[in-house]
Amino acid sequence: MPSTKLYAGIYVVLFAFATAQVAFEFVGLLESAYWIAFGGIIVLSLIKALFVAGYYQHLRYEPRSITFVVLSALIAALVLTIASSYSIT
Amino acid sequence: MTDSSEPAPDGGYAGATDELPAATDEGGHATTESHGLPPYGSVKRWFVTTNHKDVGILYTVTALFFLVFGGVLALLMRVELFAPGASVLSAIGYNQTVSTHGLIMVFWFLSPFAFGFANYVVPLQIGAKDLAFPRLNALSYWLYLFSGLLLGVSFFQGGTFSGGWTMYAPLNIPTYTPSIGASTAILALVLFVASVTVSSVNFLTTMHRMRAEGLTMRRLPIFTWTILLTVWMMLFAFAALLAALMILSSDRLLGTTYFAVTSPGGSILWTHLFWFFGHPEVYIVFFPALGVMAETFQTFTGRRIVGRKWFIAAMVLVALQSFVVWMHHMFLTSINLQIKTLFMATTIGISLPFDLMVFSLIYTTIKGKVRFATPFLFTFGALILFIVGGITGVFLGAVVLDYQFRGTYWVVAHFHYVMVGGVTALIGGLYYWFPKMTGKMYDEFLGKVHFVLYFIGFNLLYFPMFVAWETPRRVFEYPEALTVWHQLATVGGFILGASFLVMFYNLTRSLVDGEAATGNPWAYSTTAEWAIPSPPPLENFPGVPSYRSGSLDFLGGSGATDGGEVTDGGAVVARDGQAHETGTQAAHAGEPESHASIWPFVLSVGAFFVFLGLSGLQEGSFVPGLAGDVYLALALVGGTITMGSFVGFGLEHFHAPTGPFGESWPFEAVENTKLGVWIFLASDVVLFGAFIGTYVFVRISAGWTGWELVPGDPIPGLMNTYLLLTSSFTVILALVAAEKKSRWGVIASLTTTILLGIGFLVNKGLEWNHLFHEGIAISSNVRTSTFFLTTGLHAAHVVSGLVIAVYLLARAWRGAYLDDERPIEYFGLYWHFVDIVWLFLFPLFYIL
Repeated sequence: MPSTKLYAGIYVVLFAFATAQVAFEFVGLLESAYWIAFGGIIVLSLIKALFVAGYYQHLRYEPRSITFVVLSALIAALVLTIASSYSIT
Repeated sequence: MTDSSEPAPDGGYAGATDELPAATDEGGHATTESHGLPPYGSVKRWFVTTNHKDVGILYTVTALFFLVFGGVLALLMRVELFAPGASVLSAIGYNQTVSTHGLIMVFWFLSPFAFGFANYVVPLQIGAKDLAFPRLNALSYWLYLFSGLLLGVSFFQGGTFSGGWTMYAPLNIPTYTPSIGASTAILALVLFVASVTVSSVNFLTTMHRMRAEGLTMRRLPIFTWTILLTVWMMLFAFAALLAALMILSSDRLLGTTYFAVTSPGGSILWTHLFWFFGHPEVYIVFFPALGVMAETFQTFTGRRIVGRKWFIAAMVLVALQSFVVWMHHMFLTSINLQIKTLFMATTIGISLPFDLMVFSLIYTTIKGKVRFATPFLFTFGALILFIVGGITGVFLGAVVLDYQFRGTYWVVAHFHYVMVGGVTALIGGLYYWFPKMTGKMYDEFLGKVHFVLYFIGFNLLYFPMFVAWETPRRVFEYPEALTVWHQLATVGGFILGASFLVMFYNLTRSLVDGEAATGNPWAYSTTAEWAIPSPPPLENFPGVPSYRSGSLDFLGGSGATDGGEVTDGGAVVARDGQAHETGTQAAHAGEPESHASIWPFVLSVGAFFVFLGLSGLQEGSFVPGLAGDVYLALALVGGTITMGSFVGFGLEHFHAPTGPFGESWPFEAVENTKLGVWIFLASDVVLFGAFIGTYVFVRISAGWTGWELVPGDPIPGLMNTYLLLTSSFTVILALVAAEKKSRWGVIASLTTTILLGIGFLVNKGLEWNHLFHEGIAISSNVRTSTFFLTTGLHAAHVVSGLVIAVYLLARAWRGAYLDDERPIEYFGLYWHFVDIVWLFLFPLFYIL
């Protein structure tokens, strides 16, 4: 299991990333290059989620089968979202 | 037939042989002192029992009640359709009858009927003493029963739902179905889905974690395989349905506008959400029937299923494919041609594994020596019906043909051949396991009479629908020229209904004075339930079941193998401990498992009143007048009972089966409760995924970049992100403190977590209040609806987490968790998940 120091380090990173996401808006990137900003903000969210799941939920230290269960659910939700959204394009 | 001396290498081979004496009192059940369960004859027993066999019987009996309920509605429809036009029922009465017939049969009869067998048989087949979480199993049942009762109540609230079982938008919103009863029917379905979710988590944990030693996945009996795949599909599919129903409930009760005619993509959105659930539901309903077919084909042909491992592989493939075929139900909507073509291909593709399964069953009968006992008659009949249903379904998978057939009686005939074909197999299952469940044999002659009437009635009812396929679905008008076919169908419907009278008479009479059934009344049965007495004793087995030798042994038990007939199975061996001492045995020697709790029942009563009370909401307020006061009172009383029940649950000393267990692949290193939490979170991933997917869909429909965000300022959202991230960190600190045995560390960390969670809610409340003052309400438009409902659902998760955190804090105050920090860890899994969800809601609703 990670040390308290590592937990604290991750917390600082999560805090900073959340701030950075809002900074995208405040520096005007959303107006000038919306989809680049969109990609950047979503990637930051993904990284944050991976940190929380991997370390705070200890998925890194659990059997891979647990990760597969969660990933299966995530894939199901993505299939629904992507296919249904594509169907109306 | 398989050589009895050589257990099949990949089969769940528990050859039933010698009769084992049961250490029981009345009804074949153990005495009550240690487990708190009243005797069989006591009414109280059925309210408090958590034993899987009792719960299985409750499911079976209740499902049969709903079969009669739905069946009577079906006969009403057939009477109406004897001639074109509404002559018996009113127009709205007919619509309500059609809708609730479909809802009852699909939700309240079919799957619960199968899960009666699953509850009773699966733990026996895998060598478990009970399900992993017995109280949750009882809770699943009671939520199921009360959800059905809620549906029944809806008839008396100005009429029940009348928009068809598919609940298509916009017919599903109050503009078109305004009665309170219609809302109650939707809420009943929400309660039903809660039951299914609890059940899915329980079965998955049990089947993966609690199998007997040597019972690898390859050796798992096929019925258990079908239930395993069914519950995996249920876990994900019903989560999507829950999202759909929660959104619909919000539209009906709170005034959101997701499915309003004016909302972009509203009706298509419903079809996507509904059919993403609805097509896997076909297999959710059919797989257990397939399992019964496979079991009975093996038993009554005396031949192991041909191509067993390919049969299982085909089922796994279907379970996966079932999530990528849903749009074939939407070929007549405005979705684009490319996606229609893709889904036509996936739909045709899913028929291929079924071909393999059908040929496997046919070839098994050819290779074996068939005995036409009642169970086999039904399951063989089911195979024939399913072949007809399957072939006629392929027509509907082709886009061009579907343009012609959709919305006609071709579809009605097809899916009844499939779904009621499945029922046919399950009726076979009822006859097959009746001796095991009751200890009495049914009357074989009457069973065969039932089958003959059933098969004639079924085909006379449904086959004319293919001929009269031009009849439009769901309405009582049809061309005069088709009258004769509808009259034949009506006659068939009554014959089918009458056949069940024979069944009920047969089973009731047999229960009262039928011949006693032996442990194994069937020659050549191969699964473990036939190796123990009928009915089995409370603790199921005379020793610890083990398949390590290749066939079923009972280790360390007292059950001697004296007497009893020898069939073809491997010997049931009861060895005295020293030869095969295992870790599993040690666990069985510990504190006896509990089998009784009143809280599942009480909690379900509370939930019933909460949902009944909520049905009185319209546009966010209770209906005016006394009725509104009554609905509010019901909700408050129900809420109080529910909260009290949760406390009762938490404080009750209840001993569920504990490990170590024999086989737990692929979750050997994960404890039962932790696995249960993770599986629940997986369903929550789909729930939130469907909500976020809905937001994405609606926003794309409206034009992504033209979408105006509801909060004008991202800062309140950022503040809440900080609060939640910090609370996640403090939960971790609580865990670290518990590991270091620091009581004050645990208390301080949990207290901080609670304060941060409350801070999150207060901040959200202030933000919402500000928006309300600006005239922005949940019902303003679909933009505001998606914002308030999605973030509101998240806030509700925060509230649930806080309730748990307060409970943990109260226990931590008294020194808990210093020796066992797992409850804090499992709470953390949930809390961090809620945090992760917010990490995506924040940018989507506040920044992008």
